[in-house]
Amino acid sequence: MEALITFVLNFIYSSATLALIVLGLAMVFGLLGVMNMAHGEFVMLGAYSAYVVQSLGLNFIWAIPISILVCVVVGWLMEWTIIRHLYNRPFDTLLATWGVAILIRKGIEAIFSRDYKSVDQVMPGTIDILGITYPSYRLILIAIIIFLFVTLFAWYQKSKTGLRIRAMVQNPGLASAVGIDTSRLSTVTFIIGVSFAGLAGVLLAPLVRVEPYIGLDYLLSSFFILIVGGLGTLEGLLIGSAVIGGSDALISTIFDKTAGYLSVLLLSILFLWLRPDGIYSRR
Amino acid sequence: MAYTLVVKSLLLAVLILIPFLTNSYFAYQLGLYLLYGMVGQGIALCWGKGGFLPLGQALFFGIGAYISGTILQDSVGWLSVISALILSILIPAFIAGLVGLLVFDRQIGSGPYFSLITLALSLLGYQLANSQVWITGGFNGLTGIGGLPGIDSYGSLYFFIVGALAISTFVLVYLIRTPFGQLLEAVRENEERTQFLGINTSLVKAAAFAISGAIAGLAGAFFAPHQGIVTPQVVGFILSAELVIWAAVGGRFGFIGPIVGAVLIGFLASGLRDSFAYWEVGVALVFILVVLRMPGGISGMVTSLLRRFNIDILSNNVSSRSQIIPKKNNLRKPVLKFDNVSVKVGNVSILDNLSFTIENPGVHCLIGPNGAGKTSALNALTGKLDYNTGNVYWSGKSLKGIRPFRTPKIGIGRKLQVPSIFSNLTVRQNIDIAIWVNRLNIKHLFSLRPYSWGTNLLKDLEESFPFLNKTDVHAGTLSVGQRQMLDFAMTVLAEPDLILLDEPCAGLSKYETEKMILAISKLAKTSKATFIIVEHDMHVVELLSDNVFVMHQGKLLAQGSLEEIRANKEVQVVYAGGSK
Amino acid sequence: MMADLMLEVKNLSGGYDDLIIVKNISLNVYSGQVVSVTGRNGVGKSTLMKLISGSLKLSGGTVFVLNQDVRSIAKHKRLKMGVSYAPQESIVFDELSLEENLTLHYEGTDLASYDEVFKYFPRLKERLGQRAGTLSGGEKKLLSFSRVIAEPTKMVLLDEPTEGVQSDNIELMAEIIIKEKAKGRGFLIVDQNLTFLERFNDVIHLMDHGEAIFKMEGLMFREDIEERITI
Repeated sequence: MEALITFVLNFIYSSATLALIVLGLAMVFGLLGVMNMAHGEFVMLGAYSAYVVQSLGLNFIWAIPISILVCVVVGWLMEWTIIRHLYNRPFDTLLATWGVAILIRKGIEAIFSRDYKSVDQVMPGTIDILGITYPSYRLILIAIIIFLFVTLFAWYQKSKTGLRIRAMVQNPGLASAVGIDTSRLSTVTFIIGVSFAGLAGVLLAPLVRVEPYIGLDYLLSSFFILIVGGLGTLEGLLIGSAVIGGSDALISTIFDKTAGYLSVLLLSILFLWLRPDGIYSRR
Repeated sequence: MAYTLVVKSLLLAVLILIPFLTNSYFAYQLGLYLLYGMVGQGIALCWGKGGFLPLGQALFFGIGAYISGTILQDSVGWLSVISALILSILIPAFIAGLVGLLVFDRQIGSGPYFSLITLALSLLGYQLANSQVWITGGFNGLTGIGGLPGIDSYGSLYFFIVGALAISTFVLVYLIRTPFGQLLEAVRENEERTQFLGINTSLVKAAAFAISGAIAGLAGAFFAPHQGIVTPQVVGFILSAELVIWAAVGGRFGFIGPIVGAVLIGFLASGLRDSFAYWEVGVALVFILVVLRMPGGISGMVTSLLRRFNIDILSNNVSSRSQIIPKKNNLRKPVLKFDNVSVKVGNVSILDNLSFTIENPGVHCLIGPNGAGKTSALNALTGKLDYNTGNVYWSGKSLKGIRPFRTPKIGIGRKLQVPSIFSNLTVRQNIDIAIWVNRLNIKHLFSLRPYSWGTNLLKDLEESFPFLNKTDVHAGTLSVGQRQMLDFAMTVLAEPDLILLDEPCAGLSKYETEKMILAISKLAKTSKATFIIVEHDMHVVELLSDNVFVMHQGKLLAQGSLEEIRANKEVQVVYAGGSK
Repeated sequence: MMADLMLEVKNLSGGYDDLIIVKNISLNVYSGQVVSVTGRNGVGKSTLMKLISGSLKLSGGTVFVLNQDVRSIAKHKRLKMGVSYAPQESIVFDELSLEENLTLHYEGTDLASYDEVFKYFPRLKERLGQRAGTLSGGEKKLLSFSRVIAEPTKMVLLDEPTEGVQSDNIELMAEIIIKEKAKGRGFLIVDQNLTFLERFNDVIHLMDHGEAIFKMEGLMFREDIEERITI
């Protein structure tokens, strides 16, 4: 029984963190059609922000505004110099953002070296829940992620900007005809997307080894989730996260980490072949 | 062609002379970069020629290296060397081909899916190489790999590498000149159009990817004896990324560029990496610049520089069309039947119980207001649009669920609304591809014979549209009218029994319209084919049509001769709109 | 007194990339005037409107709005300059509610500016919470029409406003246009329904093969136009 509860909590925890990581990519790819190959690098930038904040002796909470600032600046620069000129040219965006990904990776490597950095636990200790003891930071993290999703979803549904983004995605021609500055709105969407990646990086930093190449894993798992879940719906995103997170966790426990990764990759290839639009597609 | 041959022979001579001109360490280093350059050639085949980017090419390189490393660890006979080479080529090729087939089968274009899957594969390879210690030696790698029998790894092995490179260059250059290579470039230019010419494009792409995997494996097979050790880094994503950068910077549109890139950046890196911390940042910046500003890379710059001095190293010699292929026989029962076809997207009806039958050859025009479903009807017919209910029959057979690339095989040819030709290929190459439709089979794919094929219809078309003789002109530089005419010529060259023309006269001048009408009516008389022409220009309809179909809101509204249509009250209401 | 020039189109040509569809068209719209463009399907009327509204790039000619050259002005800024545009296709945001469709382009959700049109089309007001995608084609046209009428602009571009609209509502649209025209707004209307245009037309142009082949003033144009339109 206890093992089951632990497994369920682990499953929820890993799906939630995956969902948080994929959220930004889903926004940028689903709404703007831009496959941001540097998405994982923004997660990495967030994690390094947390590392820098701690090594400066500041409170961990400072990592949040700092990471968002870093992502906004880098994201804006990237949108302004590259992405903006490449909307509707998916292959070129893929190439250019991949170049940016390498640039960010190598830049961080040149500054911080390739060594692993560790970010101290912010909330060590455990909580007794449902008869088992569970790391408290993980539980807090689940709560924060649920809060972030609810907030973002409410903003997207209720705010004027969210409304205009939805309008732009459905019908860009009409949106600009009614006076909406679609290129500015795209910039905003892109920046929000990468900022969520940065935020995910901060929150995950205490749990992972921080190094310049962690971004790739995040990019690929996000991408697998999008393949399985399909683009454009929140349900798809959550189900995709659960399927990918779940099968990875299950196979990894039974065999090893490599087998888990292998299973997720094969699952994605099969989905591309059998259900190219994912479980939930907009159509 | 002559120039490229001279350039390539000169380069080869220089490579052979290098160990005698410089020290042996230099040649040893160069050997490694040449191997990387070989992998880059495969990337150039996929990316530059085929238009899809593999991001995990080190995987195949690494597999080749592990296979040859394992075999050379144990024994040193030539038999094992040869088996190592063969396995290092075949296994990566098989894996690449399989992945390509699965990923390309349902996706059109060069979207991100393929690139990301290959990247993921390379990551998986890295994990497997680290964890499967019993095969790979794990983190420490496969050590104690012997050299080739009697060959000094620091000396004469270099000449084997140059030999392998010469072979891969020759094979690739030849391959790209064959119909296979031309089809691969056609896929890059316009995959949808290539499908309507009867080509299974996902198969072409998968084959190219398999070839790139084979070349990477071959390079890997030499890597093992060259280095004496194979570690998980050789399958990893870092090397994969660098391989793509080298190919891009050197130039991905040819097969010399990737070598130049690998050698140049390789030597620069070995000199600068340690002294200049931001070296790799600089390389990444150069890569972004290349992607955005000069896609041809270094070799592209050289080519355009030479062109300024009127040296065109890319010109092809064109073979004459000496072999005239006879006209194929017409279908016996060219009957087309739409039976209650309905398509709904959301709550919008695109086709609404569309039913009609065409029993006689001749020119049938399909008219109707914007959004009436004319193009959608053609899409349903050619497998571009799934229909919820109903069925379409062509010469008695149901077409439900047909894939677009199969339609030419059953005698259907289609010209899309926007002139879709292969812009970066020459007029001659465009026509070649069109002539091959239904006539090219596997045994021709890698032979140069099909370039000499011609048909009597082509002669007729060249009479109607003399510019089709301008073989060296790139199709993208033609005027809109000429592109429409080329597209029309390409559609009919396969001699289909059912010819679908979507607005063949859009964007044509009055004079060009007359020429197009003349060509269509001439073909209609001689070919006995059934034409369906979607057209807005009533002048065209008047001159061409034997029979007119009017569509409105996804339904068939009326059918008959143009006089009957003009007299039809319902048609007047929706069409002229004048007096509701 | 000469009325103000709202829209001045000179020698306009353009289309999709180098596929030129509209050739050398010139027309003027003055304050309080309705200029109509009619013609068969596929002669380039909608392309003309897309060129004037900034949805497509011109390949030749000029467009002036209120004496200002708008060629280099982004499409989304033109509403603020005083031009409203109701396109022919994809005219509403299907996934958004009617209310969202009507209010997304300004701050707040106040519908006061729609009071006037809601008097004519009360059904729209009753269905504000509904998704616009559930409307019929004609109702979508009314929604799009209502939006541009309520916008505080001096010049209105309407592309096939009556397509699929019921005849009693077409009459109401005509009444609204007559009223707005009296307030000094200029209209450029592309439509095939001559009965509709006969209610308010000042100048009518007939297009064929991308060119303006015939021009006439006033309301009594039907005979001259009909004899020049053939199916």
